[in-house]
Amino acid sequence: MSAADARTGAGERSQDGPGPDRVGAKTGAASGLVRGLLRGEPRALARAITAVESDSEEAAGILAAIQPHLGNARIVGITGPPGAGKSTLTDAIITELRRRGKQVVVLAVDPSSPFTGGAILGDRIRMLGHADDEGVFVRSVASRGHLGGLFRNVAGVLQVMDASGPDVIIVETVGAGQSEVEITRFAETKVVVCAPGLGDDVQTMKAGILEIADILVVNKGDQPHAEDTVRQLRGMLHLRDPRLGSAVVVSTTATTGRGVPELVDVLEEPRLEGGAGG
Amino acid sequence: MTELAESNAGLPEGYEGARARWEAEVAGHLGADAPRVNRSGLPVQALYGPDDWDSSRYLEDLGFPGQDPNTRGIHATMHRGRPWSPRMVVGLGTPEDYNKRMRELYALGLTGLFVSPCNSHLRGYDGDQVDRELLGVCGTLIATSEDMERCLDGLPFEKESVSIGDTAPYTLTAMYLKVAKDRGIPWSTLAGTTNQSDYLSHYAALHMFYRLALPGQKRVLLDHIEWMNQHVPKWNPLSVIGQHYQQAGATPAQAMGLTLSAAIQYADDLVARGKEPDAFLPRVSFFFDVSISFFEEVAKFRAGRRIWDRITRERFGAEDPRSRRLRFHTQTSGADLTRQQPLNNIARVTVQAMAGIFGGLQSLHTDSFDEAIATPTVTTARIAVATQNILQHEAHLDDVIDPLGGSYYVESLTNRMEEEILSVIEEIDQLGGMYAAVQTGMVQKMIGASSLDFQEKVECKEQIVVGVNEYTTEGDESEYAPVPERPDPQKIDAYLSRLASFRSHRDQHRVDGALAALAGAFENETENTYGLIVDATEAGATHGEICQTVRDAVGFGEPLIVV
Amino acid sequence: MDERAIGKARPPKVLVTKIGFDGHDRGSRIVATFLRDAGMEVVYTGPWQTISGVCNIALQEDVDVIGVSSLAGDHLILPKLMDALRAAGLDHIKVVVGGIVPDTETELLTSAGIARIYHPGATRDEIVDGVAALAAATRRSAAPLEAQP
Repeated sequence: MSAADARTGAGERSQDGPGPDRVGAKTGAASGLVRGLLRGEPRALARAITAVESDSEEAAGILAAIQPHLGNARIVGITGPPGAGKSTLTDAIITELRRRGKQVVVLAVDPSSPFTGGAILGDRIRMLGHADDEGVFVRSVASRGHLGGLFRNVAGVLQVMDASGPDVIIVETVGAGQSEVEITRFAETKVVVCAPGLGDDVQTMKAGILEIADILVVNKGDQPHAEDTVRQLRGMLHLRDPRLGSAVVVSTTATTGRGVPELVDVLEEPRLEGGAGG
Repeated sequence: MTELAESNAGLPEGYEGARARWEAEVAGHLGADAPRVNRSGLPVQALYGPDDWDSSRYLEDLGFPGQDPNTRGIHATMHRGRPWSPRMVVGLGTPEDYNKRMRELYALGLTGLFVSPCNSHLRGYDGDQVDRELLGVCGTLIATSEDMERCLDGLPFEKESVSIGDTAPYTLTAMYLKVAKDRGIPWSTLAGTTNQSDYLSHYAALHMFYRLALPGQKRVLLDHIEWMNQHVPKWNPLSVIGQHYQQAGATPAQAMGLTLSAAIQYADDLVARGKEPDAFLPRVSFFFDVSISFFEEVAKFRAGRRIWDRITRERFGAEDPRSRRLRFHTQTSGADLTRQQPLNNIARVTVQAMAGIFGGLQSLHTDSFDEAIATPTVTTARIAVATQNILQHEAHLDDVIDPLGGSYYVESLTNRMEEEILSVIEEIDQLGGMYAAVQTGMVQKMIGASSLDFQEKVECKEQIVVGVNEYTTEGDESEYAPVPERPDPQKIDAYLSRLASFRSHRDQHRVDGALAALAGAFENETENTYGLIVDATEAGATHGEICQTVRDAVGFGEPLIVV
Repeated sequence: MDERAIGKARPPKVLVTKIGFDGHDRGSRIVATFLRDAGMEVVYTGPWQTISGVCNIALQEDVDVIGVSSLAGDHLILPKLMDALRAAGLDHIKVVVGGIVPDTETELLTSAGIARIYHPGATRDEIVDGVAALAAATRRSAAPLEAQP
């Protein structure tokens, strides 16, 4: 689609075939929004996410307009079972990225209730310190019945976020259901966080998790068995299908920040070639 | 309907027939009587008799007061020998405000001292580090040992035991020690309690007291216990708290189960450090909520005493009788009080207090009737203290030890509560103990589910709350509730400028050195960090500075919150 | 229109938060659950938020209603929150308070623009219906999509 088409919304009209004035008004408003978005203004980013997340009338126009501006942000997926300290680790990663002067956007996904359609979006509980930081933008999204585990318009939302110009986009999901596998479609770097555990806990970790991970983090490094778990996982990764590419095991203690700079070093490495989920 | 005791051999001739006649008459009148349950979910029958409790088990299950299993009380004489202490939570405004209020309450018959700091303090800050509007509204501003000195000016605290609302890293206790030292009072004579030292209850239930990352909390608490046991031998450095779980929504049985699980965890931690149970258990105390579910609370405390006695003996091999006592302070439940028709709360608090007294508490805080609105005024606090005095002196509740003992209902209920409490402890054990369990979110979910359950019962009027969902009046009668007192802005200003002056006049070099030594102690595992906190306080470091130093060393703690 | 289900495409989005230092969250957890069960999306932050933090969260999450849970005098800071929301161009978002607010201090809040105060004893329906109506009102008054100047 040409830039001119994007401006006029050609090819993306509503079924009613709006008259020229309405098209102009919608496009004008939407393009004002897009300008703000491309400048990285938080308000525009928030409104653009709302539009795309909920399939509003402006969504298609916004997406069309931002296509030439994509590809700068590194997209990192963070997932893992409950109890691994994933949220605390995400918080620590954000802190370290900020220390390195990076602009960060976070997409936190939580499941909607299949019965009521509502959702508790609780990932911000662990991000207390970042609410006042201009360099961090966090958006919580509910799955809204999407069977894949993420949500319907995740591709579009990630594009909108990318267009606002951050260095890193972190997608944080609960490690249950299908979400950790679906994240492979969108994230270049997949981080799986687990807690130390010998024997059963590690053995029964879903095969899918091991296959998708680019980085396996053993958090709560202060606990006994942490080093053993790291060794065990390294061993298991060796048995992984070589076509999945190589993966790294890192040990952290998110509460004190130990190991987090090293983890972020790995995150910032030049993009992994032929990584899992391709 | 009625549960049969294991052996009915002791029942008199004709008993079964008489009971059958009674049951038939009940069925005739009540028809399909809807089953009733208490807050812990246990069924409540219409009548209890000798087939509900085997009285031949008196020595195994009850014993005499002060003898295993302590069910009837932890001391031989209990309130008959020494009545429970009225110990009221006091915290407001500036140190001078606190001091003035304490003098007023002493004149009204209060005996125990209780220091409760401002919420900003609980978060780890000094008054000059936070928004003005939030200062001193819910507790007293205390950032330095000079502030503590002003709080205690003219009060004979060395003659009383002091309860300090102090959470890790226990700076207020350190300030208290300095004030005592400056007055020439030997630490060996000081009696008191660090009453918010139980970080597991903060992590899982009342988050506002929680400050350090979990491993750091553990370290700091164990160092505090060891240091205090050595230097201030009459002090209770560990107070295991049931109040927070129950206020957050746990049922009485759950709250007791979670509390005892936490106590087991702390005892395990101390044993892992090489401490003998009989060396530290005598100085472990407890802090419970008491709700208006009268008989259930009495049974909860009696069951709790029995269980703790058995745990300390069987799990920890404690031989000293003092190690096996569930010694506890109690606070009446604020969650039962209402904003509507506030004077009703005086009746509620009376019932709660009675339940605690019959439950065998050692000290008692009675809420003021305006608790649901603001921190108490002198008048409302006076009524709360008077309530206790009336129960003691006019109702003579201190005459008889465990007067409900032997009641078929109370003994049967004590047994049932014991089963419930033990099942909670078992569940926590399965997860590897309380320290591990709170990190899985299981405890938080248990509490959340119970709180929702209770809310639903109120909404559908299965649980009536007078003045709220039934027996309501046009207005809320809130004219009976006094206007809340807010700290005088000028006094806050004066406080803040005094704090600034304190900072500029102290020996900064000495403070920096002390804080550096404290930070350094965390780099090895063997140094006792609490001694260095006491040193830093002595050197003039403020509360906020010490908290920051410790946080830098061990991590700023965030509790696991589960919706 | 059934205000409880504004449209599956976009359920009402509510921020439930606590500002200041109080940590009692039994009430806010229950309210969040009520709202979720009524089909709303609830951004739950936990305690200890700052005023500027709440403004940023409300902006980033594009919420319809802000619900502040308050005990122990923390409500005294709310007029400052209303000022901050106004300064950020977010004053179309409706703000409600739940918890302990003495009668003598409700005027302070309502004159600052707080839409509704929920005292202890408020029922589930009162809270859910009230929040749903306010969310609908926010959507009606929200500025059309446009960039900031």
